[in-house]
Amino acid sequence: MTMMPSARLRLTTVDTEATVRIELRGDLDYDNADRLLAAVTGQLAGRPRLEHLHLHCAGLGTVDSMGLSVLLMIHRRTGEAGVRLHLDDRTARLDRLLTITGTLEHLTASPNGAASSPAGAGESPKNSAEARAARPTGPDGTT
Amino acid sequence: MRNDAAGLLLPAARPGTCLADVAPGWLSVAHDALRCPDTAADRAAQPPLSGVIGERSFEAHPSVRADGTVVWWLVDDTDHRLVREALHMERERTAFLAKVSSMLLSSLNLGRCMDVTAQMAADNLADAALVIAPAQGPQLPVVTCLRGGHPVLSHESVDPDDVPGLGEALRGFPPVPSRWIDPAAAPEWMVPEGFGPIGSIVVTPLPGHGVPAGALVLLRRSQTAAFTEGEEVFARLFAARAGAAMSAARLYAEQASITEILMRELLPPSLHQISGVDFAGGYRPSMDHDRVGGDFYDVHPAVVDGEASLVALGDVCGKGLEAAVLTGKIRNTLHALLPLADDHQRMISLLNTALLNSHHTRFATLVLASAVRKGNAVDLRLTSAGHPRPLILRASGAVEEARTHGTLVGALPNVPTHTAALTLAPGESCVLYTDGITEAKGGPMGGTQFGDERLQRALSECAGMPSESIVERIQMLASQWVGDGSHDDMAVVVISAPRTRHLSAVNGHTRGRFTA
Amino acid sequence: MSTRTSHRLRGDEAVRQLADELWEAVSAADEYTATDLVLRAVDDGVDPESVLLDVIAPVQGKVGREWAANRLSVAQEHAATAVNERAVAALALHPAARTAPERGRITVACVDGEWHALPARLLAEVLKLRGWRVDYLGAQVPTPHLITHLHRTAADAVALSGSIATRLPTAHAAITACQSVGAPVLVGGAAFGPDGRYARRLGADAWAPDARAAADRLAGQPLARPQPDHQQLDDLPHLADQEYTMVARGSASLVRTVFTALEDAFPAMRAYSELQREHTAEDLAHIVEFLATALYLGDEELFTGFITWTAEILTARGVPAHSLPPALGILARELKDFPRATRILRRGTDALIPLHATTAGNRA
Repeated sequence: MTMMPSARLRLTTVDTEATVRIELRGDLDYDNADRLLAAVTGQLAGRPRLEHLHLHCAGLGTVDSMGLSVLLMIHRRTGEAGVRLHLDDRTARLDRLLTITGTLEHLTASPNGAASSPAGAGESPKNSAEARAARPTGPDGTT
Repeated sequence: MRNDAAGLLLPAARPGTCLADVAPGWLSVAHDALRCPDTAADRAAQPPLSGVIGERSFEAHPSVRADGTVVWWLVDDTDHRLVREALHMERERTAFLAKVSSMLLSSLNLGRCMDVTAQMAADNLADAALVIAPAQGPQLPVVTCLRGGHPVLSHESVDPDDVPGLGEALRGFPPVPSRWIDPAAAPEWMVPEGFGPIGSIVVTPLPGHGVPAGALVLLRRSQTAAFTEGEEVFARLFAARAGAAMSAARLYAEQASITEILMRELLPPSLHQISGVDFAGGYRPSMDHDRVGGDFYDVHPAVVDGEASLVALGDVCGKGLEAAVLTGKIRNTLHALLPLADDHQRMISLLNTALLNSHHTRFATLVLASAVRKGNAVDLRLTSAGHPRPLILRASGAVEEARTHGTLVGALPNVPTHTAALTLAPGESCVLYTDGITEAKGGPMGGTQFGDERLQRALSECAGMPSESIVERIQMLASQWVGDGSHDDMAVVVISAPRTRHLSAVNGHTRGRFTA
Repeated sequence: MSTRTSHRLRGDEAVRQLADELWEAVSAADEYTATDLVLRAVDDGVDPESVLLDVIAPVQGKVGREWAANRLSVAQEHAATAVNERAVAALALHPAARTAPERGRITVACVDGEWHALPARLLAEVLKLRGWRVDYLGAQVPTPHLITHLHRTAADAVALSGSIATRLPTAHAAITACQSVGAPVLVGGAAFGPDGRYARRLGADAWAPDARAAADRLAGQPLARPQPDHQQLDDLPHLADQEYTMVARGSASLVRTVFTALEDAFPAMRAYSELQREHTAEDLAHIVEFLATALYLGDEELFTGFITWTAEILTARGVPAHSLPPALGILARELKDFPRATRILRRGTDALIPLHATTAGNRA
């Protein structure tokens, strides 16, 4: 059980010439996800020599669909600017969200294509293992 | 005795005459009472005596002298009294206008505003009142009310221009003043049944805010006094309030009907059994004043009998009307792609292409389910595009996650998915839901997520329940979990293989056996 | 007259027989038999209103009682209700149940948070049979929806249904809102008390003990149009002390505090499973909710009634109710600055004493 009262998003930025690191604390959601996008857009515009953007995610609370949308937008913008996006210290919840939505690989793949996290997209969470054992499902079909 | 002033006022009162013969009754009665010592003590505590002599009004102050005679000091308070009366009337009118305002402001319904206007006008300004709204179509809506009666709505097929001043009043432009019309010229429809001969009749425009609001017609009987100038001013003040309320109500009704028409396309459909498969759905938008939001579902029956029906349930990023508009686009696109319903991956890829946009990454997650009855069972194919996995509720109460996964649509160039195929035995169900359910925060201690585990536990108690009961149960538990707190949109669709009639007949008469 | 009476008697018997058969079908979740029964009865000439009110309504009442007595599971209760609802839906489509609207317009709705829609549905169908134009808005209608609907339709009256006492504050908001837009409100359902006392306290324009009485009331003298400047505080001046607001708003933290204190008092609770802990917390939340409702209404009996009912339900389900008095004690300690809450909690504790002695005796 998570006991997570909705918290305002706080952004802490640490930078060098080629690397920007933004520490995220609080919820990345409908009410404040735009602030992260604005911060990142500002960094991209102001630093032509930027190579790496690190979003430090350990302090993230709830990430809702707007939050995920902003992460996808940041990925698109960094890609266009030739900057590599790193989602560092992801929480289990964030990984779960990225897994369910099928975006983990896209957001975390290194340029050679391999996912930086071993979490395989689409594996069943273990809590249904018992239920499956109770009765076999039908054959899986791939389209 | 009398002084000169008294002589002017009561010329008949000469010394020695009896007061009762020369003074008005109110004064002589008071005089007699004063001379009786029992009541004299009470008098002091009472307000000063007053009354009319001739055309003027006086306050009378007695002073009893030692010899028992009484001196009456009469003070002319006519002007004072007129001012007081005027003040009293103004207060009444202000109170009436305040009441009018609060009655009229409370409703945004045009019919009700017309009723209130007619009734208050009839009870306070005239013997009867008519409120006429601008025509919508060939007929003129008219609310008529007699003093002390109830407002009655009728529709008159008449030309308002036949009544002097009415046509202009209903057009709202150019501005026209109140118009007295000849009672004899008033058309029959303007005179309430049993009203009798009309004394005076006035047509007052109801000023709207940029839109015509209508007209007020006041009628007085012949024996009643005609309208004074003050009353006319007052009627105009009343008309200004009534007109503002009626034009606001008309604008609201127009907006509400536009919203209604647009909303109809966005509302989730009501579901039922199709080709031997039970479908039920439920939806609760995040905001109580909205009826739509970012979650959606649809069930499309197969075009050819014996083929699968297609269910789509999804969630677009964002909230409220903006999100609802995007759900409309997705639902229309999926509808157009129905000929490809067999091929979930193709449908999802084409939908993705239709939604991709270089300006934003507003995505949607969804599940497609193809369901077809096979004997007593239902065959299902399920594909998740970045959406929480559907749950399968078995007859035993076991809950399984369907083994499908895939990528959300509308943000990335490629959206690979993996479809799961499975079979529901009679009485078994498949539950599609949006994360508004599992991410609902609340609970007895507050701040806890409803979560997957709690959802699965709740579902396992629903084994054997009809599809609409499962939907209702899940919605109820999630809503109660949230309590009065805020929540995201919540949608649930349940696909069930109906329990067979045969089973009910065999087990039906033993309580509780059907869940076994 | 006499022929009518004898016919009526035979009708009563037939109706009782029908109710028994419907109960059999409904408790077995046998939709087809239930629907057939209802339709055949109407085919045979039984008055559709009688089928709704003398057959379906009593059966639904029995569903509720059997659930409370733990003789029906949650799933069975839901299934039985669903079957009853389908029977009502089938009956509504029967040619004998089709009537042309010749009276005014009535809006029928359930209070927000009220999920028991069947009583409202029955009333809606009865009103249709009696010639009203009915807008049935269904279960748990948020007040903004209800008011928007009234602005659009100008209904002659609103019939509001509620079975859960803790929704009464919400019901009050809905009643006042309807009245403020000029619609008189008739209320009904278990929430308003067996004698309708809470209906009066919340300023409803009328109260009816059941659907038939509600339909009769609406058929009689039209409900007067309410005054628009009425406010909620006018009905319940004691709300000025803010005790309701404080308890209702602080509910979650009150539950947490009491839960922790109970753990200290009953170390056995620490061994509870996650599920048991959640059930305990839910029970506590329920107590706080009823306390808040009693504060809102200024009615101590509402709370004592709930507490004794809870003790009985717990006992019926084989759960000892011995943690109730300490829970009330801890709550009273937390709320010691609130005189009305303190008094209500004391009354609750007193009400438990005889019950507690009995259950203890049973277990010995």
